Amino acid sequence: MNNYMENESNITDYYKKTATFWSDMMGMMSSKSTTLSAVGPLRNLSTNLKKITNELTEANKETVEFNNFLIKYYKQLSDTWTNAQKEVASKTTKIPPNEEGTEAYKRVWIDIFENNFTGLFDSKKFSENYNNLVSTELDLLKRWNTITDVMLKSANLPTKEEIEEIYEELHILKNRIAKLELSKKQSEKNVRK
Amino acid sequence: MSENKFDPRIIGNLLNFGRSFIQAPMKASIPHDVDIGSTQFDVAYKEDKMRLLHFRPLTSRQVRTPLLISYAIINRYYIFDIDPKKSWVKNLLEQGFDVYLIDWGTPSKIDKFLGFDEYVNRYMDNCVDFICDETNVDKVSIQGYCTGGTLAAVYSSLHPERVKNLIATAPVIDGWKDTTVVSNIAKYFDVDKLVDTIGNMPPEFIYYCFSILKPFEQGVEKYIKFLDNIDDEKFVERFLKIEKWAGETPPIPGELFKQWIKGIYQDNLLIQNKMYVKNELVSLKNIDMPVFTQVAVGDHLVSPECSMPLHYAVSSTDKILKLYPTGHVGMIASSFSQKTVLPELGKWLKERS
Repeated sequence: MNNYMENESNITDYYKKTATFWSDMMGMMSSKSTTLSAVGPLRNLSTNLKKITNELTEANKETVEFNNFLIKYYKQLSDTWTNAQKEVASKTTKIPPNEEGTEAYKRVWIDIFENNFTGLFDSKKFSENYNNLVSTELDLLKRWNTITDVMLKSANLPTKEEIEEIYEELHILKNRIAKLELSKKQSEKNVRK
Repeated sequence: MSENKFDPRIIGNLLNFGRSFIQAPMKASIPHDVDIGSTQFDVAYKEDKMRLLHFRPLTSRQVRTPLLISYAIINRYYIFDIDPKKSWVKNLLEQGFDVYLIDWGTPSKIDKFLGFDEYVNRYMDNCVDFICDETNVDKVSIQGYCTGGTLAAVYSSLHPERVKNLIATAPVIDGWKDTTVVSNIAKYFDVDKLVDTIGNMPPEFIYYCFSILKPFEQGVEKYIKFLDNIDDEKFVERFLKIEKWAGETPPIPGELFKQWIKGIYQDNLLIQNKMYVKNELVSLKNIDMPVFTQVAVGDHLVSPECSMPLHYAVSSTDKILKLYPTGHVGMIASSFSQKTVLPELGKWLKERS
């Protein structure tokens, strides 16, 4: 137990193990009575609970990762903003406070901010962090999809995977029809010739 | 000492800006309610979500070879007919061209598996077939804009016998040479994960890509300029039309997006003649018909370096590369395009149609 608490990853493992342990135990404890009393839904409930708990525990880990990348993302933006503002301050000291000066200040401000932010968006560090951010967001979305699938399955509805299978079948079917239509058209053209 | 005197005109300007801000809702329409597109057309052919629009002629006699415009897979086709005075299609109709345009529609989840093969070998080829049957010709001229230019180039490579002339307007060709920040994001993008998880490329992500392209010119300066010109009815109308267009983009089918990011931006296969569409090699060398490549020097969406390589990669002997001092949208929907780009294109195309 103490070893588990030593670092962040162990703490996550500890909670994961605890959650899995109890959901397994509950599943086992309830299996006999639910088998006797019901066919389907109640038994599904215990198995589903385990799957959902697992997904939620894993999602915790990814939420931490996501937050880290998000913090880095905002830090990159705010650092660039600060640097750009400093550059503007250093270059606009001699601009007179009149109408032309306001226009000149606006131009300098926009140009400097544009250059600084384009430099950031064009950098490897930004692209890598941004893509890590999107990637962990997609991981979280995948967990949510799995949880939804578990619930859809228990409600006897098609899961995302099953729906995708249908889409793919339809896609293949459409392509086959298109191929047939094309060969029909070509043979009609040949006859006309 | 006098240099540091405060100019009262600044207060005047600030008050005017405040007035414009308050009066804007009374002087301008709600952006999403703005009507776009005035040139009349018929839906000549339809397949899945794709529509082939046929614009009604504006001249008694027309150029023999019809022109098929392959619009981009981002935003909507009506940028080609944004305003009667700046309409690309209207201008071509007035020059006597028979104009067809592909509207790719709005892909939904069921379209996730559509890729280059379906877009080029099925939709585009069926459109060409339809036009040839309708107009009794063997070939059509094809113009492709932006990502539609890429599709048009791929089509011309795979079906050169169906293309009389190719016009590539700001096409996305050489991903490694693209200097926009979008190519930097695309370089490290895990496109497989996105498509496996979400299916189609969502519009929100496309808007994000737009927002990092010149964020201060496009996100701040543009709107200040809008408020400064709030009394100019024509300016306001045009501004809102472009804004509406920029804010409406359909999702991109997952498979097509995957092939796009990998084949164009990450592995850059198209320009190296290494790209395959359904087991068939796409060699730009197969493009031997007359080619007109139109590039905008100030293009911040597709950099000129990304488009120009098409001119050098094709095997056509009759080819021309034109660089225009305008931007991505300015090239097709501006007074400049009406005065310079379209007359040059019309003249070139008539001589070859």
